Amino acid sequence: MIAPEAAPATAILEVRNLSKRFGGLWALRDVSFSVAEGQILGVIGPNGAGKSTLVNLITGLLRPTSGQVLIDGEDVTGSRPWVIAHDRVARTFQIVKPFRGLTVRENVAIGAMHGNERDLTVRDSLATADELLELVGIAKHANDAPGQLSVADARRLELAKALATRPRLLLIDEVMAGLRYAEIEAAVQLIHRVRDSGITIVAIEHVMKAIVSVSDHILVLHHGSIIASGEPRDVLSDERVIEAYLGHRYVKRRST
Amino acid sequence: MNAGPARGSVAAVLQRPHRTLVQVFVDWIRTRRPANSWPALLGLVAFAAMLGVQQLIEPGTQRLLSAVFMFVALAQAWNLIGGYTGYASFGQVAFFGLGAYTVAVLMNNYHVSFWLAMPVAILAGVLFAVLIGVPLLRLRGHYFAIATLGAAEGLREVVNNLTPITGGGLGITIPTFGDQAPTPYFGKPGFYLAFLVLAAVSVAVCALLSRSRFGYAMVAVNEDQEAAGAVGINTTLVKVVAFAVSAAIVACAGAFYAFQQIEFYPTDVFDASFTVLMVIMVMIGGSGTVAGPLAGAVGLELLSQFLRVNLGAYNQLIFGAIIVVVVVFFPQGVVNYFRDAVRTRQFSIFDNVRRYRL
Repeated sequence: MIAPEAAPATAILEVRNLSKRFGGLWALRDVSFSVAEGQILGVIGPNGAGKSTLVNLITGLLRPTSGQVLIDGEDVTGSRPWVIAHDRVARTFQIVKPFRGLTVRENVAIGAMHGNERDLTVRDSLATADELLELVGIAKHANDAPGQLSVADARRLELAKALATRPRLLLIDEVMAGLRYAEIEAAVQLIHRVRDSGITIVAIEHVMKAIVSVSDHILVLHHGSIIASGEPRDVLSDERVIEAYLGHRYVKRRST
Repeated sequence: MNAGPARGSVAAVLQRPHRTLVQVFVDWIRTRRPANSWPALLGLVAFAAMLGVQQLIEPGTQRLLSAVFMFVALAQAWNLIGGYTGYASFGQVAFFGLGAYTVAVLMNNYHVSFWLAMPVAILAGVLFAVLIGVPLLRLRGHYFAIATLGAAEGLREVVNNLTPITGGGLGITIPTFGDQAPTPYFGKPGFYLAFLVLAAVSVAVCALLSRSRFGYAMVAVNEDQEAAGAVGINTTLVKVVAFAVSAAIVACAGAFYAFQQIEFYPTDVFDASFTVLMVIMVMIGGSGTVAGPLAGAVGLELLSQFLRVNLGAYNQLIFGAIIVVVVVFFPQGVVNYFRDAVRTRQFSIFDNVRRYRL
């Protein structure tokens, strides 16, 4: 007897035929995929592939030209960013966006004040912030201005701010770009620790090597469309992916 | 991580149970110390001191100080939307005039008690703030400033032309004598007290708001609206509420001012120089702080009165020159300058000018 196929668990995030046009340019065209709870999905692609547009569409910063975004099976297409945040979806920004007039600790506390299952008082939020800063490893900068942080530490602050909103799904937009090798190692470990706490992760990344090691599943975007999807190993050996990253001449030379 | 192994896991931090409301209250009572209560204590002492001062000064001086108190309230109100939230409104006088005319029309035309008319004036201010705030708070920077300026000018013209109700350009008079008076006139001591309480309430409201979750939301909106939205802050709501609370305080000040003046014209209570003064007081004192608008309002209004009495015709010229000098040397406001100077131990004013020059 053939075992019945396991019923697919409701995807925590599902994207259906999502498209976004800026004037005459399709930044994203007919993109569909879903993420199961507890998974780490890596989204890779060359510059201008539409990776950040995808995050902005999911989190309500942009409205799609067409298509749908579903969180836990519920259509949230075109919802405002704070509504998405209260659907327990958090994000980091590729170009970090700290609140510059506040301390590092206060930056994180704001997420704990206004996110999900919020802390009742400012004092409790600051306590939560201190613990999160300890976790991401920038506790010693708690009272500094965010402008004083290094690139790597500013990215950790972005991560702590997002975690403070108590998300179930975390969208990480190029948290490793511009980091040194040791810093990437640390970031990878941190992403694993976040996933181990039960948070589903969609990691947008340009640095392919780093993302392949953490992802359960990989999606490759090129010129706004998905050109490959699957297990990290299979995706990396895909001809189209190599061509998108390294150029068609490289593929031709290798095949001859 | 290079900070060594973390003590807790992410889950341990994020799933930690919250304190209950009762616990929060009990902990708050238990942790009260002079060290963390001094702003409130200082405020109470200052309030009591001003009550004491009233017994020592003449009615004329009381009138002068009541104007100082009014500007403290107005500056605090402007600071909520212009300072904390970062939306420089050049039309806050609209709420002042609206409050003034609401009280005057209700007391004059309908013989309503001041104590009923004043809350109605506050309500009118809040409603008008929501009405114009929802569309205008989508604009940023200069566009918001110009739009609010236009809204205030427009409202003045409406009042100017609604002659059957407002008396139009001929002005309006609140009956204050005999049986015609819906509420007996307060007199100079009464208005001193009224404006003192208004100032105290405004300072207290702004101090509490600025330390609350809403206060952090205002600052976040000011810093970066995309980042604020991403951490769950309803940026539209925060802006509209900050604008409405500011309008409520300004409308209340307008209500008391109208009753104090008894007789006034649209050009008096819709005078754009009220708005300009609010802006200058906040900017010079230090925007985004509670002490800044307080210091700015007290300092500038006392200075202005002093110059008016002692310099005659040239008082405005000197007043303007002093403002220019202060802005050049303390571009971030006096209170912010001293706070940063104490923290970094750098007291050089010339370094300060260099740091903030464009």
